[in-house]
Amino acid sequence: MLTRLKGGRLYDPENGVDGEVRDLYIRSGRIVAAPADPAEANEVIDVSGRVVMAGAIDIHTHIGGGKVNIARAMLPEDHLGDRVGGRRHPHAGCGHAAPATRTAGYRYAEMGYVACFEPAMLPANARQAHLEMADTPMVDKGAYVLLGNDDFFLRALADKRDPDYLRDYVAWTLGAAQALAVKVVNPGGINAFKFNQRKLDLDENNCHYGVTPRDVLLALADAVRGLGLAHPLHIHGCNLGVPGNLATTLDTIQALDGLRAHLTHVQFHSYGTEGDRKFSSGAAPIAEMINAHDNVSLDVGQIMFGRTVTESGDSMRQFAGSAFASPKKWVGMDIECDAGCGVVPFHYRDRNFVNALQWAIGLELFLLVDDPWRIFLTTDHPNGAPFTSYPHLIRLLMDRSFRRDMLATINPDAAAASTLGSLDREYSLYEIAIMTRAAPARSLGLKGFGSLGVGARAHITVYKDDADREKMFTCPEYVFKDGQVIVRDGRVVKEVHGATHAVHPEFDRVIERDLDQYFDRYMTVSKDNLRIADDEIRDDGRGELVLHATVARP
Amino acid sequence: MPPTIVSRRASKPSPTSARRGVCPHCALLCDDVELRPAADGSHAVVANGCRRAAQRYARPAPAAEVHVAGAPTTLEDGIAAAARLLKRARQPLISGLATDVDGTRAAVNLAERCRAVLDHAHGDTLARVARLTQTRGWYATTLSEVRSRADFVLLVDTELGDRYESFARRCLGPRAGLNDDTPRTVGFIGPAGRLPRDAAPDLRLPCRSERVAEALLALLAELRGNPLAATRPAGLARRSLTELAERLRAARYATIVVTPAALGAACEPVLGAVCDIVDELNRDGRAAVLPLGGDDGAQSAVSTCTWLTGFPLRIGFGEVISYEPQAYAGTALLASGAADALVWIDAFGNCPEPPPGCPADRTIVLGATPSNLAGTCAVHITVGTPGIDHFARLVRTDAVVTLALPQQRDSGLPSIAGVLTRIAEKL
Ligand code: SF4
Ligand SMILES: [Zn+2]
Repeated sequence: MLTRLKGGRLYDPENGVDGEVRDLYIRSGRIVAAPADPAEANEVIDVSGRVVMAGAIDIHTHIGGGKVNIARAMLPEDHLGDRVGGRRHPHAGCGHAAPATRTAGYRYAEMGYVACFEPAMLPANARQAHLEMADTPMVDKGAYVLLGNDDFFLRALADKRDPDYLRDYVAWTLGAAQALAVKVVNPGGINAFKFNQRKLDLDENNCHYGVTPRDVLLALADAVRGLGLAHPLHIHGCNLGVPGNLATTLDTIQALDGLRAHLTHVQFHSYGTEGDRKFSSGAAPIAEMINAHDNVSLDVGQIMFGRTVTESGDSMRQFAGSAFASPKKWVGMDIECDAGCGVVPFHYRDRNFVNALQWAIGLELFLLVDDPWRIFLTTDHPNGAPFTSYPHLIRLLMDRSFRRDMLATINPDAAAASTLGSLDREYSLYEIAIMTRAAPARSLGLKGFGSLGVGARAHITVYKDDADREKMFTCPEYVFKDGQVIVRDGRVVKEVHGATHAVHPEFDRVIERDLDQYFDRYMTVSKDNLRIADDEIRDDGRGELVLHATVARP
Repeated sequence: MPPTIVSRRASKPSPTSARRGVCPHCALLCDDVELRPAADGSHAVVANGCRRAAQRYARPAPAAEVHVAGAPTTLEDGIAAAARLLKRARQPLISGLATDVDGTRAAVNLAERCRAVLDHAHGDTLARVARLTQTRGWYATTLSEVRSRADFVLLVDTELGDRYESFARRCLGPRAGLNDDTPRTVGFIGPAGRLPRDAAPDLRLPCRSERVAEALLALLAELRGNPLAATRPAGLARRSLTELAERLRAARYATIVVTPAALGAACEPVLGAVCDIVDELNRDGRAAVLPLGGDDGAQSAVSTCTWLTGFPLRIGFGEVISYEPQAYAGTALLASGAADALVWIDAFGNCPEPPPGCPADRTIVLGATPSNLAGTCAVHITVGTPGIDHFARLVRTDAVVTLALPQQRDSGLPSIAGVLTRIAEKL
């Protein structure tokens, strides 16, 4: 079976194709070379005049795991206005900020996404996270495992164990948790909060282990480098949400000293202390620093106005943020000598100075960071806003006059305090294709994703060109996954399950002896029971496990 | 979903040697029990475990029987009869729901197919706890944090007897502390009859269950520095409350343990007061609550249902999903006759009797124990126990750790997931 997508305008940055009209051919789930005679195609789909991109990839979205499920359970009011019946989707569910797994999968596909990555999977909670992801249909998925707040790692660091030892531990954890990458959240700070430390700066000691966030970051970034993971250490830095944290973020980038890293939801880490309200934008210096350091990539964590829920492993900062919960309730947890979490419902208001400035800061970052290959489109779903607001965000980036109209509606002091009104940049379709397709695929090492080249997986999104970019990106005409049409005119037409992406780097098995002892002594699950077997992910054919090769570097 | 989820994931159980297992018999899911299998499919617990585990593991594998209208028949017939009954029903109820993650997945799918309401045998407690997180939230902790970090543990009117017996051994024993090795101390507030067997609290505040909430409010007032005027609040000596407040304040990491199911209707005031105390302690120090509960698959059911549908239990399927934590109480739906067909699920063998109200000829029982109901109800299928007769994943009491339990014996009993999926396919 050979399918010809005829006459589409292709935006395929991975192959340097910028809006050229070309045909695409699909066979057995892959993009193949054009046959000598186009008439060989058994099926022709006319997409002339349409915009064609690879399927989109969300590099940072909280779609599964304990804190997501806490948010679902504690917020029935979040879902009641957004229930989806079985007529609309293959299975009933609900949206909005804390959607049902199924609804999340359907809605991602309906926006043209084919892969989503859960960025904060605790080893102790990994099995549940994978069960939730298995119940997230349509998209491929994977998770980044949380390290750097677990007592085993901090103790090893305090004991000055050599880098090989730490690397073996990171490798064991990646394999045991079936993770694709490593994330650190408030390095050492979640742990410090268990010892009643309320604040932890980059060079401040964890009061119990005597190691600093800088030590944790460097050790983990080096372990990730040494293991040869495609995705660099994924960093949620210190002092999230604290006015003045821009200095911490700048110091963090410098501390990396050339080591590759990904800084996540940087908007929440770009705050100055200028002005009457002691809250100002730090986007300009941060963008400048990022522009000058090509070892660093980022995602923004844009906020949008409205109700949402913040879900984070950062129990220390969520405890502080719980004072602003709306409605007034929140759940915090200390978890299994591993990490913690905090779930705080929140209402971002456009008339509120701080919220309005947060909105502007995110957009400033998007517009001031030059290289779209190093900046990814996220709202840190649902922390800044639900992922369903991406089309709106794309319009804000692509349409200067729309952006200015929106700027005119927010808190006027915040608008005046932001440089947003003076930023003329408009993202092109090519740049949008970079930041939502080609760049995340490269960053995660997902071969065959984010590309329309011959040999790529036939993950393709076809949009009707529309000057209203929000409308256009809300409702693709076709979404193909592995060559099958899964969405037509913004509606799911075929339910598929999607694979799980993970790495199993090699390591010296000697570490397992220490881990066995540690688990027996301190934990309530044995090391071997924590480990998730490959067959659990495969689940008798329900799931698929894609293992990515890693090549150790000295 | 493929038609059956009978697992190939378990390595074949070896016949006689003792091996480590994960115990499915309460929501602690102790993974240190040492089991020796016997020829009849039962197991002797040779190390660790508890009385409950010993008793449950001693059950031999029941025969794989299926009854339709009291007459023995094949699994195929039982499934067809169940499907016919559900097809005719106006408002089916799927309850009991004592099963694993895969069983709950299948139950949610079946409920969607036949527009059933979904509840659990422990639905009242689940609804009370859910309401608490939906109205105020809490700061909670997990088992390993208690085992290795908590230096003071307060047990509040807890039932650590029939269930959670191993909690004392695993989490209250001598501490190999991650913060330091100072000995852990334990406090208890509640009726003397509820003192746990293996924990020897060194601070006891004896108090009748009905007055525990009052005692906690007095403790909270003490912690806030404006003690109540009463000389003996909740009948307790003032001095003991002051001492308890001081212990909580002095702890580096205090944990307050509650067992919501044991509290009944007092769950909300007691748990609410505990959460207020934890919040008060967290202003300047560190503390957390550890609720123990979620037995008979309740935590697995509620977690799975929440991620699949967005709502915890007591949901119904119509045009959209409705969440009615009061109105969809299974017992009430049965008593009023609003539910005209019942699927009762008891894969752990602890809740064999459905609540009254549904005529026997409209009741389908999927149970792990042989039962008199087999002779009377419309359909009775003997099913396997998760983690004994088939591979299973179960969510632990803290809703964080999920364990994979290998199959322990080859009984040929079907799983809930397998049976429900096949029923749904016939609808
Ligand atoms: S406490 Fe519960 S899980 Fe642990 S051995 Fe006893 S019955 Fe099994
Ligand atoms: Zn995030």
